[in-house]
Amino acid sequence: MMNQIILGLSTGATYSLVAIGLVMMYKVSGVMNFAYANMGMFVTYLIWWLATSFGMNLYVSIAIGIIFAAAMGVVVERYGLRPIRHLSHASMLIVTFGILMILEGLAMQIWGTDYKAFPELITGSPYVFRGDFGIFVLRRQDILIFSILIAVSIALLIFTRYTKFGIAVRAVSENEEIAGYMGINVGSVLAFSWGFGASMAAVVGIVAAPKVFVSPTMLTYYQIQGFTAAVLGGFETFTGAVFGGLILGVIEKLVGNYISEGFKATISLVIIIIVLIFFPKGLFGRNVRGRA
Amino acid sequence: MAENSSKKIISKDVEIKNLQVWYGPVHAVKGIDLSIKAGSITTILGANGAGKSTTLKALAGGVKYTGSISVGGEAIDTLPVHKRVESGIVLCPEGRGIFYSMTVKENLLAGAYRTKKVDYSSVLDIFPVLKDRVNQIAGTLSGGEQQMLAIARALMSNPSYLLLDEPSLGLAPVIIQKIAEVIKTINGSGITVVLVEQNTSLALSIANYAYVFENGKVALHGKPSELLKSDAIREKYLGGVAK
Repeated sequence: MMNQIILGLSTGATYSLVAIGLVMMYKVSGVMNFAYANMGMFVTYLIWWLATSFGMNLYVSIAIGIIFAAAMGVVVERYGLRPIRHLSHASMLIVTFGILMILEGLAMQIWGTDYKAFPELITGSPYVFRGDFGIFVLRRQDILIFSILIAVSIALLIFTRYTKFGIAVRAVSENEEIAGYMGINVGSVLAFSWGFGASMAAVVGIVAAPKVFVSPTMLTYYQIQGFTAAVLGGFETFTGAVFGGLILGVIEKLVGNYISEGFKATISLVIIIIVLIFFPKGLFGRNVRGRA
Repeated sequence: MAENSSKKIISKDVEIKNLQVWYGPVHAVKGIDLSIKAGSITTILGANGAGKSTTLKALAGGVKYTGSISVGGEAIDTLPVHKRVESGIVLCPEGRGIFYSMTVKENLLAGAYRTKKVDYSSVLDIFPVLKDRVNQIAGTLSGGEQQMLAIARALMSNPSYLLLDEPSLGLAPVIIQKIAEVIKTINGSGITVVLVEQNTSLALSIANYAYVFENGKVALHGKPSELLKSDAIREKYLGGVAK
């Protein structure tokens, strides 16, 4: 049971990372990014390509990949979404669908459809703990994922509470027009949110790739789970995204283990429906008086 | 404001010429000329839909317009809204528009986005009621406190021009009186104030000059004392305010 929970938390931490990126983009720009998974997928391919075909150091490839992801996010927001912001919300969703398909098509054209192996960033035998509670195993990759999640969460907390730009991000997400009147350059905040979100997608690709291999559909399932995690968390707060992901990971693992592996994917959709009916603001949604 | 009071704000005259604003097919502002004297309190009065708020928004750079706006003879028409804040023009919008989910302090920090040095204390000196509430979530403040916060937040940008859009809206008379005093204090530090109001008596009691808008145009303008002299004008535009 303990091991199942740890495995669940590890997978859940990846969902949390997906959700953090989705929530950042959604909070600021109001757009649910359907191309999120494919942005991560495309960048993971790029990193794999740089490392294998060009013999580049893996960490250098990852750094280039994350910078590329951020640039891609900024470009998509600036030139794909901002020109149509005054139109309906649906038009922006369609643009993200278009990008989803473009990236998938490009990846297939450039790299084909066969699965490519991607190395774990830290290797070595897992840590085994024995005690009154029994035995539990902690893989090094799990520690890496937890560390990334903790680091990203702390960084976000400091950024959104104590930095001017972080406050500007929250201001724009609450009231774009007023934020503009305060002297905040709304465009740069929008671009940042997509740059950040796309970088998170790349990070998710990097940590998920050793498990799911690199392929054009490698992160599709993660997008659905990340979306569920964000819904669980109320789609508004990063805390909600983090805990939403962790809770979903554990539920999914327990369901897979004790009920049926096949039921695992269905459970997230059931959770979305239940949460939206009974907790429309999510489990961590805030009720703020006067919220526009 | 400590900085402001020690170093008197230097503002210049603002000239608005033939200002026109369209909202889709609606011609909201139909060629307005306005002069705002440096260091004054200029008020814009008129009924709903007269184009008062739109004029303020145009001055702050928040809506597209034709015509020209110049500060000290220099046109600012090409400056986007955040650049206008940088050049000292800040709008305190109608309906307060504070960031409800953020604390008082975070709201103030958002207001100071364009300034290099963030100075809470001098602004909080003008609004003692906010001093004890800096860590309170803004959405939980009372209406009057929220309005104070909205003005305080605008002041955090160290403006030379403060554009106030209906600061008295929905507030109790005693609070409105406090707001009026605050506006006078702010103006006393050298900040030019443009005040859009439906509360005519409040506006005329503190303004140096008044414009009355009607249907997107300037219907009349003059010193408050002059405007109040005419019975017909008082009846028609000023809701029968006593002389």
